[in-house]
Amino acid sequence: MIGLSLGALPHFSYQPLWVTIIFTAMIAWRCMNIWHDWPLPSKQHRSMKWLQLGIACIAILLLLTSYGSLIGRDAGVALLTVMLGLKVVEIRSSRDYYLSCFLGYFLVVTNFFYSQSIPTAGLMFVVVLIMTTCLISMNDPKQVINTHSRLKLAGKMVLQAIPVMLLLFVFFPRIAGPLWGLPQDAYNSTTGIDDSMTLGKISQLILSDEVAFRVKFEGEIPRQSQLYWRGPILWNTDGTTWTELSKKNQFSTVPNIITSVTEYIYSVTLEPHNDHWLFALDLADKPPATPVSYLTHDGLLRSKDPIRQRVQYQLTSHTQFQFNADREANLASALQLPVDKHLRTRLLAEQWLQQTRQPRELVQLALNHFNQQQFYYTLMPPLLSGDTIDSFLFETRRGFCEHYAASFTILMRAVGVPTRIVTGYQGGEINPVNDFMIVRQRDAHAWTEVWIQGEGWLRVDPTASISKERIEQGINSIMPIGMRSPLFIANNQQLLELWQSIRNNWDALDNSWNQWILAYGPKLQKEFLSRLGMPSPDWQKMVVWLILSISIVLLIISMILFYQRKQLTPVARLYKNFCNKLARVGIKRHLNEGPLDFADRIKQNYPQPSTEINRITELYINLYYGNQSASIADLHNAVKQFQLQKS
Amino acid sequence: MTRTLSEFYQRFNQLRGRRVFIIPTRFGFVYAAFLFLILLGSINYSNSMGHVLCFLLASLGQIAMLHTYRNLAKIELNNAYAEPVFFGQTITFILLFDNHSKFDCYQIEVSSKQHEIRSWNPFKKLTGFKLHRMISLLKKQQNDHYALSLPAQKRGKLALGRIRIASLFPLGLFHTWSYFNTEYTALVYPKPEGDLPLPLTAEYGQQFKQHQQKGVDDFSGFNSYRVGDPIHAIAWKAMARDDILRTKQFTSQQGGLVMLSWQDLNHIADIEIRLSQLCSWVLQADSAGMNYGLTLPSTTLHYGHGEVHRHRCLTALALYEQ
Repeated sequence: MIGLSLGALPHFSYQPLWVTIIFTAMIAWRCMNIWHDWPLPSKQHRSMKWLQLGIACIAILLLLTSYGSLIGRDAGVALLTVMLGLKVVEIRSSRDYYLSCFLGYFLVVTNFFYSQSIPTAGLMFVVVLIMTTCLISMNDPKQVINTHSRLKLAGKMVLQAIPVMLLLFVFFPRIAGPLWGLPQDAYNSTTGIDDSMTLGKISQLILSDEVAFRVKFEGEIPRQSQLYWRGPILWNTDGTTWTELSKKNQFSTVPNIITSVTEYIYSVTLEPHNDHWLFALDLADKPPATPVSYLTHDGLLRSKDPIRQRVQYQLTSHTQFQFNADREANLASALQLPVDKHLRTRLLAEQWLQQTRQPRELVQLALNHFNQQQFYYTLMPPLLSGDTIDSFLFETRRGFCEHYAASFTILMRAVGVPTRIVTGYQGGEINPVNDFMIVRQRDAHAWTEVWIQGEGWLRVDPTASISKERIEQGINSIMPIGMRSPLFIANNQQLLELWQSIRNNWDALDNSWNQWILAYGPKLQKEFLSRLGMPSPDWQKMVVWLILSISIVLLIISMILFYQRKQLTPVARLYKNFCNKLARVGIKRHLNEGPLDFADRIKQNYPQPSTEINRITELYINLYYGNQSASIADLHNAVKQFQLQKS
Repeated sequence: MTRTLSEFYQRFNQLRGRRVFIIPTRFGFVYAAFLFLILLGSINYSNSMGHVLCFLLASLGQIAMLHTYRNLAKIELNNAYAEPVFFGQTITFILLFDNHSKFDCYQIEVSSKQHEIRSWNPFKKLTGFKLHRMISLLKKQQNDHYALSLPAQKRGKLALGRIRIASLFPLGLFHTWSYFNTEYTALVYPKPEGDLPLPLTAEYGQQFKQHQQKGVDDFSGFNSYRVGDPIHAIAWKAMARDDILRTKQFTSQQGGLVMLSWQDLNHIADIEIRLSQLCSWVLQADSAGMNYGLTLPSTTLHYGHGEVHRHRCLTALALYEQ
């Protein structure tokens, strides 16, 4: 029962409250039965049975209303949880007990749909251990073994099971899923950059500590201020929301990119985000081999299928480049402004037109405006009402990167400079343990690109003109410490360093876990096995290896399990040889027969010169029971020479 | 050639020891089905940890099999013994089980089947065992006695038959069992029945006069010590109370003579009823302390009395025509 509760525990965090309540109530009911003899649903307690049935009906109705169906991942797991809770109160026969234990194992699997992290795996072992203990208890109704030894036995069994588990994990031929269609809701628990932007949306992300992706650079690592990880590019706006250029409005062109010499080679391990884009350091020169993807007209890597598993891809990127320097097909979209909105903003921009008509200078004027007026960069921007851009620029003047990017774009478009917003991540911290760069959700960022004839799209980050630290040192530098780590250690520098190093180590571990354990699928298996020395692995070879290695390991385990040291002294062993010789012709020594009696019986039953038998018996008795007046060598020789005459 | 081979096979069997069978239980199959479901789910969702769990449980099942086997492999039935009983009573075999392994063994079912059922169906051999008791714990390197009660429903030699030990421990996923084909037997006397009086002749009747004489069988009181009394007869406990030396007095009842004869019951046709009557007579004569003999068509036992004589007579009755 404890096992079930533990197994269900992680589910509580995302299941509706009532599922938790029903499950807990059922467990509590069972506990009350054990401790205080509360009635359980049974033939004697009809009313309880009705109560249970009622709860079950209500649960199913609730499930139907909140999930819409009973099929699908979330609904299925919720159903399993509720039904398991209800099952617990009516465990009576051994069948129920076994079934609950098996369902408990099953519940662990459902956990893995949501999280496959190391703690969840640890929890799995704990639950398996407890369930195994439960099974042992089930088979020990008289409680001959105490709880401690039962747990120990279960622990031993689980430990003994691990070697074979590892072999199975490595050699069992993996099949690429899915085998059948996945439920619609299979992947909706992801956070991250969206394909649209509303003011205030990215600032929600910065509260998230989750890893967006990890990067391993080969060779040189770019400066922090160059770490712009390009995501969806937003063109259209209706005044509040920014969206990508829709298919029907866009002129699909192959981007004309001229790159400089400096290139960065790196591989990205992207966490699943259930969308199509692959993040790359600013501009990748070509799409990676896998997953299947292409470079869009605005320089975004788009994959064919949504990213639903952790993927890894190799890229080469440039931070210095010319993008569509001579011609841009979608200029009209880069100048689009919502009708009759942001009037004050447009008025402000149009005043600048009197000073200059040079795009570069206009950009500088806008940046100066942010820099010189009372603008503040804040992680907690105040709520905006009415015309959001106007009220930001002229009233609150406190904003996050998205506010600056959006208002800068409006300002530029108002003066006829083509501008687009790029969303993605900026920065990333190097984990010194394994040299992976970790980019977290809180590194989410939005910046802009302006198009200038002859130079192409140029990156302009308005945030940089308000808060240089954000760009040059990453978001951590401007985040209050309490937001990055538990409050109680925030004041102590040493603790903070310790915390940081634990975090780094943990993340390195987590990363290897991801790279090797969780990513171990058909592809990685092939790679790994080839590296082990299996030439061109296919499933037949894997099965052969699997069977061979498992046989060997099981043999070793059985030897450990069954090994018995023969605790015989040399004398006893010699005498046993003698007995064995006789046993071959059918004279077996009984357990309760002394050597003398045995000798008598041999003499009666077997026409053997009795001197030999007497001598051996006498030597044995002297050596084994009496004083050591005889020598073992004599006995040895006597037994060795003892030959039975075939009758 | 064939002889060498068969010898070799026998030696191999000796090395291997007793055969231990093992198959998954109903729950074992359910467990396997669950594992398969988990595997399918894991493949479908490409869930690595799902694979891990599935493999862990599969491996655990394998280990459970070894443990279940080990729980039984080194248990031997070393001896069985039963006191004779009368027909219709319950016979209690005392079985001596020996655990040779260095591990405690738990939850062993002991069941028996006395008669082999001949059938075309080989699986019939597996069934028909009656569960007698559970051995909850058999400690390592130790032996223990267990009583196994069978109804005595046949006169004569009752074979213990085939003993099966079985176990589900530890996880209940596997059922392992093993047989001991024992040759232990117990004696079942005929049922003491019949209300005919003892066949006392007049001559015997005169002699049948109970008189007491000193004997060794039954305690009848104390006498004060006289020189020459055997030391073992001194009532030491009584002396400890009051410092007076006494000797314990025993008496033997010495009755008359009676010959219990098969011929006396010629009017009874049924052998079993005849034997029952004779059995009843033997007990009566024994309790009356008489000297009695027994004449059967096959054997004749001369006059005698006491425990051993009684047993001899009853054995003769039990084994009559067997």
